[in-house]
Amino acid sequence: MNLPPSDPNGVTRRGFFQLTLGWVAGSFAATATVAAAVRFLVPNVLFEPGQRFKAGKPDDYPDGSITFLEDERVYLVRKGNTFRCLSAVCTHLGCTVNRAGKGYHCPCHGSVFNDEGGVESGPAPRALTWYLVALSKDNRLLVDKGQNVSADKYLVI
Amino acid sequence: MNAPLPKRLWLWLAQTRVGRSVFRVGLPQSNLERSQAMVSSFLLHVQPAKVSRHALRASYTLGLGLISLYLFFILCGTGVLLMFYYVPSTAQAYDVMKDLQFVVSAGLVVRNMHRWAAHLMVLFVMLHMCRVFYTGAYKRPREFNWVIGVGLFLITLGLSFTGYLLPWDQLAFWAITVGTNIAGYAPIVGPKLKYLLLGGNVVGQDALTRFYALHVIVLPAIAGLMISVHLFRVRKDGGLSRPGEADDTSVESIPLAQLPTNKSYGLMELARGTTPQVGKNPDDEVFSWPHLVFRELLLFLLVIAVVLFLAIFWNAPLEEFANPIHPPNPAKAPWYFLGLQELVSYSAFWGGVVVPALLVTMLGVLPYIDRGRAGVGRWFARERTVANTIFTVCLIVAIVLTIIGTMFRGPNWGWVEPWGPPPAITEGH
Repeated sequence: MNLPPSDPNGVTRRGFFQLTLGWVAGSFAATATVAAAVRFLVPNVLFEPGQRFKAGKPDDYPDGSITFLEDERVYLVRKGNTFRCLSAVCTHLGCTVNRAGKGYHCPCHGSVFNDEGGVESGPAPRALTWYLVALSKDNRLLVDKGQNVSADKYLVI
Repeated sequence: MNAPLPKRLWLWLAQTRVGRSVFRVGLPQSNLERSQAMVSSFLLHVQPAKVSRHALRASYTLGLGLISLYLFFILCGTGVLLMFYYVPSTAQAYDVMKDLQFVVSAGLVVRNMHRWAAHLMVLFVMLHMCRVFYTGAYKRPREFNWVIGVGLFLITLGLSFTGYLLPWDQLAFWAITVGTNIAGYAPIVGPKLKYLLLGGNVVGQDALTRFYALHVIVLPAIAGLMISVHLFRVRKDGGLSRPGEADDTSVESIPLAQLPTNKSYGLMELARGTTPQVGKNPDDEVFSWPHLVFRELLLFLLVIAVVLFLAIFWNAPLEEFANPIHPPNPAKAPWYFLGLQELVSYSAFWGGVVVPALLVTMLGVLPYIDRGRAGVGRWFARERTVANTIFTVCLIVAIVLTIIGTMFRGPNWGWVEPWGPPPAITEGH
């Protein structure tokens, strides 16, 4: 039980270097291991559906229609000769919103959105997202779910 | 010999050359052998040779911790069986569930046992926590074991959560969608955490693979390790809490620095003061064999019987095949998350992140704040009225929220009365 006294003035040069080396090596090994393990778990390549898709010819959508595109979970909104695309993914926790009256209802936690996607009531923190709509060279509607736009941005044909 | 045949057979087996090599001590006949039976057996040595009578009183512990442990055993056993058929693939997982139901012999019973044992484990871990609170058993020197217990509670919830993605039905898909989106609300790390959990941006094959790995190895391994530490600490902290423990001056620990340095010490002398002291209070302790061991065995059989009974008469729910386009309406989590879901329906950040984090933190620091040692070892001790009242209020709020989420919420999470007419769903796309 007779340990040497822990006097700071009693630190030897050899002891100091041993301690420093130990701490540096130990912290480096620990950091590198954790960092590599976490980084390993972050995928570099995703095999997920693309963000851009073609939504058919403009004339497939009658004037004044709001069409749900199942596979993409979006609503295509046509008014006159303007086109917009609204995300059907609730901004609260990711459920698919349903058309209800003039707006949209989320079945999971009861958020209600108006026809412009704005939050009327419920726990949703943000309005539904509008996506960029363009026209492709072969005259098809082209939606990019990677690009959000404001509600007043239209594609005019 | 008048002993019954099984006992005679056992005695004969135990004294044969092979029997002695296996059991070391035969069926104990004396107090010495009763102690030896406990310390020389691998399976029994985890437990002390003698336990206090108080610890054996079913009305004190209600056996809740032990029941949780047995449910964990059942879950490991049935879980390994299920792994022989299960394929963690979005295309095949659901078909395997159907195979278990219609093709595999006893497949339905094994899956049912796994599901009901999981529900029961969540329930009994919660009840165990309530028991420990209401008897003040988290106080010195058991503070850290309470913290480990809080960790085990979270691991239990994590195991259920990762488990119910695996059937890849509607509940699975939408529960994980909602759950990982809640994780996304966590400050700073939220979106990264969600990406890491899902292995991408959408709930798909990568998410299933990850949740599978978490469910079958990562979380069970952590749970197993923590359960071991939990049980180890129960013994090292002096067995189960009991009344009068705090007034007992003979169990005060001796600071190491006060020990003279001119002599060497045996482990007994350095051990903590709250270690059970053999012979200190002989009338209060009984031999673990047979008093503890047989009670435990009986409880184990009872737990298996109940789970088997549930599994034979009630089938584990399986919803429709996962449909990433339409959530069921209403989309409800299992009962133990419905209180949380009700909170989340007000605000995802406050209800899904802040309130749970606050609750867990409060539970974790509780034994370091509530330090008085009066009333330990008794249910609802009057000295603990304040603490018990606060805990009970929190508990009632949680139960009320769960009941609202379970019974009073219908389509679009709207308010319904369970005794009223079934609400009509009028909307579509």
